[in-house]
Amino acid sequence: METNKTNNYGASFKRSPIFYIVTRIVVLFFIIIIIFPLLYTLSLSVRSPETVYSARYFLIPYEFSFANYIDAFVNAEQKLKVSFPRMFLNSAVVTSLSVTLIISMSIFAAFAFSHLRFPLKESLYNVMIASVAMPAQVLLIPLFYILIYLGIINTYQAVILAYAGFLIPIGILILRMFYEQIPYELTEAGTVDGASDLQLLMKVLLPLAKPAIATCVILLFLDTWNEFIYAMIFMQDPTIHTVPVGLAKIGTSRYQVNIGTYSASVMITIIPVMIIFAVFQRWFIAGMTMGALKH
Amino acid sequence: MIYKTFHFRTLLYLLPAVFIFLTFNVIPGLTSLVLSFFDFTGFETNLFRNFVGIDNFIKIYEDKYFWIALKNTFLFVFGAVFIQTGIALILSIFIFFGNFKFSVLVRSIIFFPCVLAPVSVGLVWKKILEQDGVLNSILGLDYSWLSSVSLVMWLIIMVNTWQWIGYNLVIYYAGLQSMNIELLEASDIDGANWSQKIFSIVIPLLWPTTILNMILNLIGGFRAFDIVYVLTRGGPAHYSEVLASYLYYYSFSAGGPNKMGVGASVAFVIFACILTIAVARIIVTKRLGKET
Repeated sequence: METNKTNNYGASFKRSPIFYIVTRIVVLFFIIIIIFPLLYTLSLSVRSPETVYSARYFLIPYEFSFANYIDAFVNAEQKLKVSFPRMFLNSAVVTSLSVTLIISMSIFAAFAFSHLRFPLKESLYNVMIASVAMPAQVLLIPLFYILIYLGIINTYQAVILAYAGFLIPIGILILRMFYEQIPYELTEAGTVDGASDLQLLMKVLLPLAKPAIATCVILLFLDTWNEFIYAMIFMQDPTIHTVPVGLAKIGTSRYQVNIGTYSASVMITIIPVMIIFAVFQRWFIAGMTMGALKH
Repeated sequence: MIYKTFHFRTLLYLLPAVFIFLTFNVIPGLTSLVLSFFDFTGFETNLFRNFVGIDNFIKIYEDKYFWIALKNTFLFVFGAVFIQTGIALILSIFIFFGNFKFSVLVRSIIFFPCVLAPVSVGLVWKKILEQDGVLNSILGLDYSWLSSVSLVMWLIIMVNTWQWIGYNLVIYYAGLQSMNIELLEASDIDGANWSQKIFSIVIPLLWPTTILNMILNLIGGFRAFDIVYVLTRGGPAHYSEVLASYLYYYSFSAGGPNKMGVGASVAFVIFACILTIAVARIIVTKRLGKET
């Protein structure tokens, strides 16, 4: 992502003052629209509980306090029977294991698709492409019973295997595309030197595939960390709720929490993502752009 | 291909991934289609005991809320495919040609909601749209936005657009960066003004990216569930239900009918919609491929 200073695309548009003004107004408008809801929620969450309701639409709180955050932690622990740290732990376990499982299997399967011969290859590949377009909800009911039958409903494994089945085509698609872009001469040279297929994958392809693997990690991390419906239905035991499931329970429960606690609870889930995004934003944007091209 | 023939150990590379894919994706997908012809509840042990033919489909055919859910799903998809893509197109052109000093920052800000959980986004907006929320304070109204039968679906579309517009934006931006600049320079010499350049050069050149964005939003539109669930739970009185949330209501919802067979028939409908679109897309791309 380069800045625009060096390109001259804009040069032909520079002469028009109308274009200059219109772009400023429109872009500024959208930036405000994007920032305002988040800033407003942040502002509510850092007010002292007494001043939350007063002067509600001024973004700057006049009595600063973290009491709402303490309330949010206590509220989650008492009403939900699962604390925020536990929710984050659950999400971290599910996400890291799912992503590791999917990528380690995709590395090998994609290699078979790109460099090896086997029957029904393209048919199987087309089924995978088609499955990427299917909404997760289509699989919901049968998966529920399969997981009951396997005796793993209400465990981490239930959701991890469901995610793996649902997301493995994405890993294979991206890695296959990448393996096939690697110049033929490189693998050719390997086979002439007498390298086995496994050596070829491990020593030639994988070291080159690091960017593709990074793309996969980003896409799969976002898909699994933010996933809601599988996590809600396959892990109904409160102690293993993931972050989105726990938050949805707090936010939509019949026992209304006050708006300060509510906002603090929402911000607890947003702030860590915000920090990660601030550090890795280039990778996120590049990863999601690359991931989009798989379709 | 590094081998001319099939080697047995190729299966070792494939087996783990294909096994997981079949067990937790293909088989449930096909089972879902079969299950739509059976009647069973969430407590059943033998799902295939009670064959009811097309009763489940008759049931949803006669349910007016199914038709609302179907209509809402198409409305949602329409919003994602046309409104969201359209706004992203304009915005990306403005940012790209506007010579902004902080164009990377601008894109990052607009992109940021994409990495948030739809649940978090839904809850942020829920408080804003509530009757005692900040939107009413700003507008000086006392309106219950999310209880309005006519507005509620548009509000859900708006929140969804708010979250995903940055995704389309960065894809458009990648398209703009790889665009052939010579045509623009040539039009400069011909004295074209900025609106002519945008409408007769930039937008036509971006057409492949527009198609990509539309397909992404189309697929995403059929997935929508989280945002409906946290914003309205399909309410008021099922008027903001989409197919996915209707399925959830019929099969899993605590206060719902707990009729999983009916849920499976809704899954069948979603499956059919996606399949139709996928087949249409393959036919269109093949035909376009022949022409060029």
